[in-house]
Amino acid sequence: MNRVLETYIMPLAGKAAQQRHLQALRDGMVLTMPLIIIGSLFLILANLPFQAYTDFLTEHPKLKASILYPYRGTFEIMALVATFGIAYRLAESYKVDALASGAVSLAAFFVGTPFVSYTIGENADGTAMVETAYQTAMFTSKGLFVGMVIAVIATEVYRKIIQKNIVIKLPETVPPAVARSFSALIPGFGAVMVIWMLRLLVENVGDFGNLHNVVTVLLQQPLTHIGTSLVGTILIFILITLMWSTGLHGATIVGSVMTPVWLTLTTENATALASGEPVKHIVTNEFNDIVFVGGSGTTLSLVLAMVLFAKSQQMKQLGRLSIGPGFFNINEPVIFGMPIVLNPIMIIPFILAPLLSVIITYVSMDIGLVAKPIGIVTPFTMPPVISGYLITGSISGAVLQLVLMVVSFGVYFPFFKMWDKQKLIEETGASIDRSPVKEEQQSIV
Amino acid sequence: MNILLCCAAGMSTSLLVTKMEKSAKEKETTCKIWAVPGDAVRNHIDDADILLLGPQVRYLLPQMKKLGEEKGIPVEVINPVHYGMCNGEEVLKSAEQLVSK
Repeated sequence: MNRVLETYIMPLAGKAAQQRHLQALRDGMVLTMPLIIIGSLFLILANLPFQAYTDFLTEHPKLKASILYPYRGTFEIMALVATFGIAYRLAESYKVDALASGAVSLAAFFVGTPFVSYTIGENADGTAMVETAYQTAMFTSKGLFVGMVIAVIATEVYRKIIQKNIVIKLPETVPPAVARSFSALIPGFGAVMVIWMLRLLVENVGDFGNLHNVVTVLLQQPLTHIGTSLVGTILIFILITLMWSTGLHGATIVGSVMTPVWLTLTTENATALASGEPVKHIVTNEFNDIVFVGGSGTTLSLVLAMVLFAKSQQMKQLGRLSIGPGFFNINEPVIFGMPIVLNPIMIIPFILAPLLSVIITYVSMDIGLVAKPIGIVTPFTMPPVISGYLITGSISGAVLQLVLMVVSFGVYFPFFKMWDKQKLIEETGASIDRSPVKEEQQSIV
Repeated sequence: MNILLCCAAGMSTSLLVTKMEKSAKEKETTCKIWAVPGDAVRNHIDDADILLLGPQVRYLLPQMKKLGEEKGIPVEVINPVHYGMCNGEEVLKSAEQLVSK
């Protein structure tokens, strides 16, 4: 099994994680996270789970709308921020002007986005007063995929032109700062041109109508379909834990592909909540925050087992060390210290426990036993039970996480006992020259 | 000596920072030790004498090595067991060895 992991999974994961564009997508998307967490705060504020409070806000829609201003200012510009961030990171990796490339890609996004004209009234002479506007929906997570595609295309064009050295060169007497402002002209022009032509092509050929529809139908919908079905979700979670089993940060790597998909669904739920409709999606960005109690692999139960039942010094010590971080979903000490990495005994429950947790979470939400995520994003370090409550806006989410902990405990316990026993035998059966090592380890704590 | 540590979010590695600082204090060496997420390394590497990666982001090694060569500092992955057990002393020791090499 270790051989399979090392020869197949590890190189593949390493490649995916190092791939320049995926890396730019991941690092660029990170720029939106603080905004979304801030926006979530106001979304919570407008939806505190007290009947009297909700009734009060329903009677005062203007007040509710006012509370939601920061939500709209953060959630509803996600695609724009991501476009800039992705282009910035990608340009940075090519060592071309990142700031200029971000600005050009942002412009390219608008070049590729259709506007609508609508009548807002009548002019004095009786003709219709027409306003042209972008729809803000295009800037929300709905436009995220378009933003990703445009940022990548625009930045690729931009850096190719620079690397081919097609830039405006001014005589040396021109101050460098002035010269730099001109050097972005031709690459920027090229990037805008390409998106412009793409838009003209889509608008005049075929039935898609606009670039946003193309990306939605060809990219977003298939990925969403795969990423949110029960089977797809199970496969994704197995992939995450498999990567962690080789010691690679599975959640980050998978996230570079899935985060945009999941965030889109998060904001769809948030939109539903803000407008008072029932939320639809189960698997959103927060789904793994609910499932991974104590970090990837639902290891909090394992750490609790260590603290409560460990007999070997090593496991006792590791339990003490890991329990604090564990409550904040940080579990690298367990993963590398136990270790779970490349440890055939521990990899089994490490994959099995999250798997059961995914199924329990999905099914219990699907049949309505537990409330679905309401589009609120919490930092991944939010302690379990509290996070379940906040994400679902319901006590049922907190109870669900407690159930998941019990189930995971059951899965981990027999394997933990086996490993603990092995360690105990190593310790007590160890020869004399081994004991100083043990003392040294103890002195570290 | 300035030691820069890097992992995915800079969180788990900050655990190790505390332990390394403690160990440095005991040895009475003056060290600046700090942890950042992978994408922030670029902004911090100028202040560092050595860059150490958490084992979970060891896929970043080739890329970071290149960066390290440009700046002329060693780049290495932390021993997973030392990392997991937050063995600040050992990590500090190997960092010192790498820098003095």
